[in-house]
Formats: sequence, structure tokens, C-alpha cells
Amino acid sequence: MTKETNEKMSGDGWEPRIIAFLCNWCSYAGADLAGVSRIQYPPNVRVIRVPCSGRINPLFIVKALQTGADGVLVSGCHPGDCHYISGNLYARRKFALLKSLLEYVGIEPQRVHFSWVSAAEGARFAEILGKVIDSVRSVGPANKMIKKFEEVA
Amino acid sequence: MNQVEETLRQEVAKLLEDGTIDVFVGHEAASLPLKTSPCFVRSPKEVDRLVWNRICTSNLATYLPQLFKRPVGLKGEWTPPKVGVVAKGCDSRSIVGLIKEKQIPRDRLFIIGVGCEGMIDRHSVGRALGVVGLADAKVDGNSVQVIGTDGREKRIDIADVLAASCRECQHREAVLSNLTVGEAPSSAPEVSHYANVAEFESKSPQERWEHWVGELSRCIRCYACRQACPNCYCEECFAEETAPKWLGVTTDLSDVFVFHLGRAFHQAGRCVDCGACVAACPQGIDLRLLNQKINKDVEELFEAQVSLSLEEAEALSSFRMEDDQSFMTEP
Amino acid sequence: MLEMTLDKSKVQEFLRLLGQNRRLFAPVKDRMGTKFSEVADPSLVCLDGLNTNLSLKEVVFPQWETLYTFEEDQANEVKLAAQETLLFGARPCDARALELLDRVFTWEGIDDPYYLRRREKTCVVALACNTPGEACFCSSVGGSPVGEVGADALAFDLGKQLYLRALTERGEALLKEASTLTEKATEEDKQAVQQAAAEAEKQLQPVPIPEDLAALKESFDAEIWEDLGQKCLGCGTCAYVCPTCHCFDITDETKKGVGRRVRSWDSCAFSLFTLHGSGHNPRTTQAARYRQRVLHKFLYCPENFGEAFCVGCGRCITNCPAGLDLRAVLERLGSLAKVT
Repeated sequence: MTKETNEKMSGDGWEPRIIAFLCNWCSYAGADLAGVSRIQYPPNVRVIRVPCSGRINPLFIVKALQTGADGVLVSGCHPGDCHYISGNLYARRKFALLKSLLEYVGIEPQRVHFSWVSAAEGARFAEILGKVIDSVRSVGPANKMIKKFEEVA
Repeated sequence: MNQVEETLRQEVAKLLEDGTIDVFVGHEAASLPLKTSPCFVRSPKEVDRLVWNRICTSNLATYLPQLFKRPVGLKGEWTPPKVGVVAKGCDSRSIVGLIKEKQIPRDRLFIIGVGCEGMIDRHSVGRALGVVGLADAKVDGNSVQVIGTDGREKRIDIADVLAASCRECQHREAVLSNLTVGEAPSSAPEVSHYANVAEFESKSPQERWEHWVGELSRCIRCYACRQACPNCYCEECFAEETAPKWLGVTTDLSDVFVFHLGRAFHQAGRCVDCGACVAACPQGIDLRLLNQKINKDVEELFEAQVSLSLEEAEALSSFRMEDDQSFMTEP
Repeated sequence: MLEMTLDKSKVQEFLRLLGQNRRLFAPVKDRMGTKFSEVADPSLVCLDGLNTNLSLKEVVFPQWETLYTFEEDQANEVKLAAQETLLFGARPCDARALELLDRVFTWEGIDDPYYLRRREKTCVVALACNTPGEACFCSSVGGSPVGEVGADALAFDLGKQLYLRALTERGEALLKEASTLTEKATEEDKQAVQQAAAEAEKQLQPVPIPEDLAALKESFDAEIWEDLGQKCLGCGTCAYVCPTCHCFDITDETKKGVGRRVRSWDSCAFSLFTLHGSGHNPRTTQAARYRQRVLHKFLYCPENFGEAFCVGCGRCITNCPAGLDLRAVLERLGSLAKVT
């Protein structure tokens, strides 16, 4: 185990690190609305804005887990509201399979989350984030997929 | 020589003679027992190289896209060849997939469909022999007589060494062909479909993780699984991309996981379960257990089957408004 | 040199004793036959298999290793210490492959410290073959089922006992460590060994190896490569299971300001093997890539190192998913040379 993970495991100081892939048109705007509405949400999330949930390559999620994210949230427009008509509906199929596959190989399902959040749902975004953080916290720091850079002699 | 083999050779000779095809892709005997090699026949004189038996394991669809690629550096006009191919059920489904993905042109393909009772898995024969090699083998009806390098003889039931994917195969005849050779295969036996996946799903998350840690630590990153797979025709695989760099070149488990998860996922809704990856793996990793999981999900969630017809859209290039959302935290 | 016998019932004890002060690698059972791996429990060692499915080059030339690490503009060397290692039960072809690899990693006076740190601490006890494997052809490429090259000691399976012969000082010192368990070899034992050796060599089918390098050079544009190239799937299996293939790639891996430079196996069968940064690829076809693999072994290596880089272990043949057989290729090349 890396020094970093050790510290995270041992201390009470560990806070989950979550990567959120948010679509530009709905969920990112929703997160923005939460901000301008001064709705508090925990700072565990690092947001990556993407044009559409359909743009999200499932490898993004796998890669986030490999490079040290404890959890991933993917959020797009509600079905029917996609700026590109159906990007989120294609994405939904991919995500259903990916979530199932990750669980199948033994990665905790509590780490990977999907949601639909519209541009008007600032409060809902904060609420979902709270749930996601609790869920990731319940399984502790990620240690399965992470690539470690230990010294090899 | 069996009846199918004889008819196949005659038909191929005709097709080459009358110019219907320029090249035929089939199987020929390889030098080791219970092994065949792909064979490219360009003249009617060579048709005797073609064989048809219980060891025509490779999925020949893998070899097709390259034939339709314009040779690098060629100047001037170029017409793609007219290609004939012999296809089992699985080969034909891969061909359907490749046509739909525009990797091979239907109008330049002549498909000879052959019914298939399942192919012998060489690895299973090896396992039956233990630590010694396979010196000789003779297929005889429903059994195979093998001689180990230690000189010991053994008779093995073909049913016991069938490739796992053949055991579960539901499509023993070509789903797309210009011509069919031989008799229709006997109907597929009743097998509990996806039994291996269901059993694996019932294990605890820790057991599942440990299983894959064990399996994937065997991987030597030779990419035989990828190269043998008809669906893996990308000019540059994500595994070797450098910008972005998805994974490292090591056999560190983390890298191997990203490779195999990524590859399995790229097969989502496209894998016909031909078993080529399993047959090619020099380390005997059961990669089907990954791919079949996705196939099972595709079937259950989207009521879709992979590559059965040219008309139907593949699972991941279509959607329904009412698709399942139960996996979502907040739909 | 020292010649002794070891009762087979004592093999485990023998290995336990020798494994006390060093890492012990030996064949163990595996789903693919046998594999060469580090063993903590000698009862797992299986000497009945022929070739292990993977070669043992990984022990001295691992699939990947860190060359150095870096932080921003500072590089940190990796420690080059290696433990004493015993490779027990390596087949003579694999032992000979180590001697060939030595030539590469010390080529023209340039020593590769990463390779040598492990190699110098490695002691090899080879186990002569009584029967050949399904694709063996060592005697056709200058080896022998009872060959001594690359080994520090050679063992023969005589049924009830193992006969052991020290070949180097290191091998002699090793065997002496376990002298309480062994007995001096008798004249009878030595005769049995000679008989076994003759028997083993007789069983191998000879493969004609094209030795006329000029003729091989001529084959560069031969049609045979097109024919083979269209079958070759372009995977790296042959190179990765080969005990003498040694091509590697060097890549950097970085993460938040720190990183490492990694050396890893590579294969000339991969289409990206020769891809230039410019996008140009001098080997555009699989035919050219397959030709490279064969000619590297049988033409360029003889030119550079004085010997073909093939020990006839047959792994590339048994493992090729396309059913390609190097022996058949060599035969075809040979007949080509005769015609031209």
C-alpha cells in the first residue's frame, strides 16, 4: 500500500475524492446554480465539464478509478432534454453495462454513480452530491484499481 | 476426407474458376496435431489445401478487413478483391457485425456457410494430458485418440474437450451466406445459458475481485486475445494510444485491469462469443467470463442479441426511451 | 568436475537446503502444463513436464522494470541489488538462451546493468530432456537435449535418481552445499547418462536450417513472406514466450509531478513497433513484420552475435494462435536458398 493510502486509511482525516463528469447543458449548469444560489455542498468533488453525457467514454470512469479517485459521479440531462436530442439515451445504455461490469469484477458499486440533473435543479445537485459522498465514504478509500508508483529495485 | 470438405473444395474451385471470387479464406492443416491455420486460396489448383474438421477453431472473420484495405503506397486505381470465406455460425455473425460497422463490403463477399457441431479446444486436450505435450491425435467420430509426448495413449470424448463457447452456442448455422455446404447441424443441446456468469455473479465481491486478480496476473500483455478477435480492427488500440495514455505498458495489475475492462467494454453489444480470445490466450485466461457478462446484460436489459441480421441495430447504437434506469443513483 | 547422484525421494530436501540462502525458481504445475516460478515450497516442484509454457527469461529480463524515477527535474537511480537466485530444472534450451541473451546485454563492451545485476547472481541447474516435446528442434539449431551451454550444472533424470554434474565453479560450489544428501556418481551411473543422452538426441526430428546467410538475404523480397504475413495475426505471443527475444520499449509514466521510466518487452509483430513519431511506419505490412522476426533470428543475429537466436524450444509453434510453424518456415526458406 502506498504511503498516501496508508495515511488516508489510518487517520480520521480521510475525505473521499470524487470526480464528477457533468454535461455542459444541464448538470454543469445545475451545479453552477447550486453555487450562485449559495447552496452549500461538500468540497470533495472535482468537476470535469463535458459537452454531453454521451461524450463520456467509459474509459474516463475506469481511468479516474485507476488514477486515484475514490468515487465517480456522472450526470447529464434528463431523458428527453438532451441538447443533442439523444446523447444521454445512448449513454444510459453504456453506463448500465459499465456499472454492472465494474461490480462484476469486484469493484464496490458504491463508488460509481449516475444521475440526471437539470439546469434548474441546483438544490437537487447538492443533495445528490451529499448522497454520493456518503456512499463513497461508506466503502472507504479506493485501493483496488489504483496504479501505485512504488520503487521497484 | 469428409463430405463437407469435398463439397467445399469443389465449390471453391468453381468460384475461383468462374471469377466469382479472387481469393478464398478457409482453414488448412497446421503442422501440430489438433491445430489448423487460416488458408488463403487464390487458384483452383490449391483448393486441396482446404480442410473442414472439428479443429477449425479460428474465427476467419478476423482476416477479412485487411483484404479490403488499399495496399499502403499503391499508386493509381485499386479495386478491392472479391473474397470468399467459409463461415461457421460464429464466423458469420462476426461477418454481419463487420459489414454493419462498414469494415467489409457485403457485395464483395461470398460466404459459404457450414453447420458446426462445435470445435475442439486444444487447451482442454492439453489439460487432459497434464504436464506432457501432445505428440499425435486423431479425430474419430465423437472421440479423439491422443498420444502424449510420454507415449501414453488416451481416448477422449469430444464432448469433454469442446470449446466452452461451442458448448453454449445457440447459432450453429451461418446467419448470413450465399451458399450452404453440408447438412444442417443437430439442434443445439439444452444448456443453461450464461450459467458460468450466473454462478460467478453469486460470489461475494471479494471473491470476484480475487478471481480476477488471479486471472489477470497471468496476463503477459501479448494482445493475442485482441488480435484474434474479429471486432478488434482498430488501427490504434486504446491500449497503445499515447495521447491520451489510458494505461501503462506494464503487467502491473492496475494496467492489466484497465486493458481487459476496456477491451471487454469495447465488445459490449458486439461480442458473438466465438471464443477466439480464449483459444488464442497462451496463458489460458477465461476471458469469456468477462465478455459473456456483458452479453448477458445486453440480452436482459435491452432484449438484444448480437449480430444476427444485417437489419437490426446493435444494442449500443440504439436506445429506447424506456430503457432501464434502475442502476442510477438518482434517475 | 563434480559428478554425483541424488535419490529422487530427496529432491525436495535438496531444494529446501539450497533454497535457504537464495531465491529458488523451478517448474511447477500450471493449467498450461508447467510454468517456471519462484517456489517457497519445494513439494510443488514438478520435473516431469517438458518445456514450461513460458520461458524463464523473465527471471533475468523481467517483462517490465523501472529504470529510474524522477521528480520534476531530478532523476533518482533505482537500487540495483539482486538476490542470489537458483534456477532449478531449466531445460537445456532455456539455459542456452541465457548465454545468448548475455551476448546482447554485453554487446560491444556495453554492459546493461539492469540485466547483469540479476544474471550475475543466477545459478542454473539444467535438466536434460529424455524425450522431446511436440515442437522441439534444439539439435537443429546448435543445441542439444543434453546441452551444457549456459548452465552451471546439468541434471539427468535416471528414473530413481537424479544424476548431477557440475559444469562451472559456481555449479560445483552449489552442489557441494548439499553434499550430505548426494552420493558420488558410479561408473554405472555415468554409463546410464551416456545412454540416456544418446537416446534423447536420436528422438529429435532434424529441421533443415538455412545457414547460407547470403541466400537468406536474397529472400528479403520472396513471396513466402506475403504468404506467411497474411496468416500472422500480429500478436506478441511468439516473442513473449521466446527465451531469446529481447526487444524492449522504454516509456515514461507520470503522475502528479513524479514519474518513472519503464522498460518493457516489445514485439516486432506489433504494427506499432516501428511507428515513428512523424506517423511514418517503415514496416507497413504484417509480411514485413513477420519477415523481421525470422530474419532477425536467423540472419541479423548470426551477423551480429555469431549465432542464430533460436534455441529450438518450440514455444512459438505450440502457442501461435494462427498455427504458424517456424520449422516449416525454415524449411521453406532453405529450399528457397537452394533454388536461387
